[in-house]
Amino acid sequence: MPEVLKAPLVVEFPFTRSLGPVQSAFLTGLRERVVLGVRTTDGRTLVPPVEYDPVTAQEIRDLVEVAPTGTVTTWAWNHAPRRGQPLATPFAWVLVRLDGADTALLHALDAPGPDAVHTGMRVRIRWAGDRTGAITDIDCFEPYDGEPEQPGDHTGEFDNPLTGIVAPARLDYTYAPGRAQSGYIDALSGRRTVGERCPSCRKVYVPPRGACPTCGVATSEQVEVGPRGTVTTFCVVNIKAKNLDIEVPYVYAHIALDGADLALHGRIGGIACDQVRMGLRVEPVWTEGARYPDHYRPTGEADADYDTYKELL
Amino acid sequence: MTRDGTPWAREIAVVAFAQTGHRRTSDELSEVEMLMPVLHDVLAQTGLRTADIGFTCSGSSDYLAGRAFSFTLALDGVGAWPPISESHVEMDGAWALYEAWTKLLTGDADTALVYAYGKSSPGSVRDVLTRQLDPYYLAPLWPDSVALAALQAQALIDAGETDESALAGIAARNREAAAANPHAQLRGPVPPGDYLVRPLRTGDCPPIGDGAAAVILAAGERARELCARPAWIRGVDHRIEAHAPGVRDLTDAPSARLAAERAGAFERPVDTAELHAPFTAQEVILRKALRLDAGVTVNPSGGALAANPVMATGLIRIGEAAARIHRGDSDRALAHATSGPCLQQNLVAVLEGDPR
Repeated sequence: MPEVLKAPLVVEFPFTRSLGPVQSAFLTGLRERVVLGVRTTDGRTLVPPVEYDPVTAQEIRDLVEVAPTGTVTTWAWNHAPRRGQPLATPFAWVLVRLDGADTALLHALDAPGPDAVHTGMRVRIRWAGDRTGAITDIDCFEPYDGEPEQPGDHTGEFDNPLTGIVAPARLDYTYAPGRAQSGYIDALSGRRTVGERCPSCRKVYVPPRGACPTCGVATSEQVEVGPRGTVTTFCVVNIKAKNLDIEVPYVYAHIALDGADLALHGRIGGIACDQVRMGLRVEPVWTEGARYPDHYRPTGEADADYDTYKELL
Repeated sequence: MTRDGTPWAREIAVVAFAQTGHRRTSDELSEVEMLMPVLHDVLAQTGLRTADIGFTCSGSSDYLAGRAFSFTLALDGVGAWPPISESHVEMDGAWALYEAWTKLLTGDADTALVYAYGKSSPGSVRDVLTRQLDPYYLAPLWPDSVALAALQAQALIDAGETDESALAGIAARNREAAAANPHAQLRGPVPPGDYLVRPLRTGDCPPIGDGAAAVILAAGERARELCARPAWIRGVDHRIEAHAPGVRDLTDAPSARLAAERAGAFERPVDTAELHAPFTAQEVILRKALRLDAGVTVNPSGGALAANPVMATGLIRIGEAAARIHRGDSDRALAHATSGPCLQQNLVAVLEGDPR
């Protein structure tokens, strides 16, 4: 068995999210260094504010300004900040009940060490210099020993309120394809295509994924297939995909390699689009250093008889 | 019992349970390659084949390993041809079991295969779990799962309900119990270790690892045919609390208590409880919420502190509780599963064996 293959995989996506009226007012407020809460029907003030009462589910819109000072309700010392977290130096995660609020806001507290932090300590917001209307407009909290600051009486009406946010996210993985696919990729590096045979139904799967999806049993017997194969069905691509360096139109086909019981996908070249047909016999074309065939081209053989591939459509 | 006190239309039991040996990494196996032996094991215990199963339901999350639609590839291991009746939840497999249980209650099926799997090793599970949080106020700060659990632990310490040495005792007791569990990842003593996010030390946190689990449910006489001592499901319920940690009392789990009440857990004492408490302080909260006194055997498997294949850990709690009933080690057991940050969502199942 070849060594386990691994490769870095980064999944990165910018979510564009719309804001409800309460969220919009809160985040726009942060941009303007104003902290808003929302009043529930039973008179509590929620900070951060939500669109619906968490107890009664009623729509709530009664915005009230609270102070930028508050009290730590619980904390946890983070000596090794991770990517994306509010501070790059060790800090305390804190829940802070701002003066005038009845619930607590999660954020970071910049403090010299865990001995300088305790539940009940007084803190105040340190604003970020560059504010866009996001929870990160609060840079962090910092210890504060002054009098509670008096909240203003902002109503939540702002010029140019936010209507949405873009929330980027990135997760890093080490991708490992597993036993069957490692064998497949390993063989491809020698320009060979191997599938795996189901011990029950005897079908040969290419590429193999380690299991027969019909029988639900492990496949393990490697079977070399191809290199030639038959076009079982195809389509003509007329719209250029982003980041794809192939001129349109081109043909994308299902190709049943000789000996395989499952068709794989590939591009067809070396023939005009309108000449490609079901049953066309093709072979892989490799480019120097490539890890898989660049495309498939006609072999010049007579077309395969429909009965030879009708089960593979 | 249903809410108005009438019995369920059918009796449904867990009749078989299987799980992997949970490990830090399984990078030589794809997800389906890791899962398939467990499926074969659980089917073999009952003599059933895929074609005999009335309903199949699974739980997993594509975010863990970063593979889109990984659950459809996992289905290859079931053998879904001719087409089967199937469903999937992007949740712990305990919630897949809940769906399967309700499906069997309707009479649509007599047997169900429930499975769950998770590979935490390809990514950074602490960071991955931040993506389940409120995208406006929480996720942009990347508060990782250990940080949120640490905030909860500190709240519990501040309330005088535990201290760091008591938490270390919980960690030690679970891992000692796991010494007898060949599937556990951490078996036997583990040092308390350094602070990960204070007040939680590495010993207060679950191991990171990969694994899978599966159970088979069967109704009525079918259950008795398939299992010498079925673990009858007397009730299952799940409840959720507000998402924002700052609006909750983090020292309590009212959703767990309500789920337990609705599942019938308080009608008679249980002898065993399998709790899904990945962090030590959460066991303190759950023991209180679920009214478990010193007479109850808690986490004889070692619990989530001994093995935590995310998305399967909750289903494993139900499977472990059922397996003790199968073996005759328990007559009435509570199984608990959790989801979300700081025990936000909780599921409780009550299982019983026939009188001996």
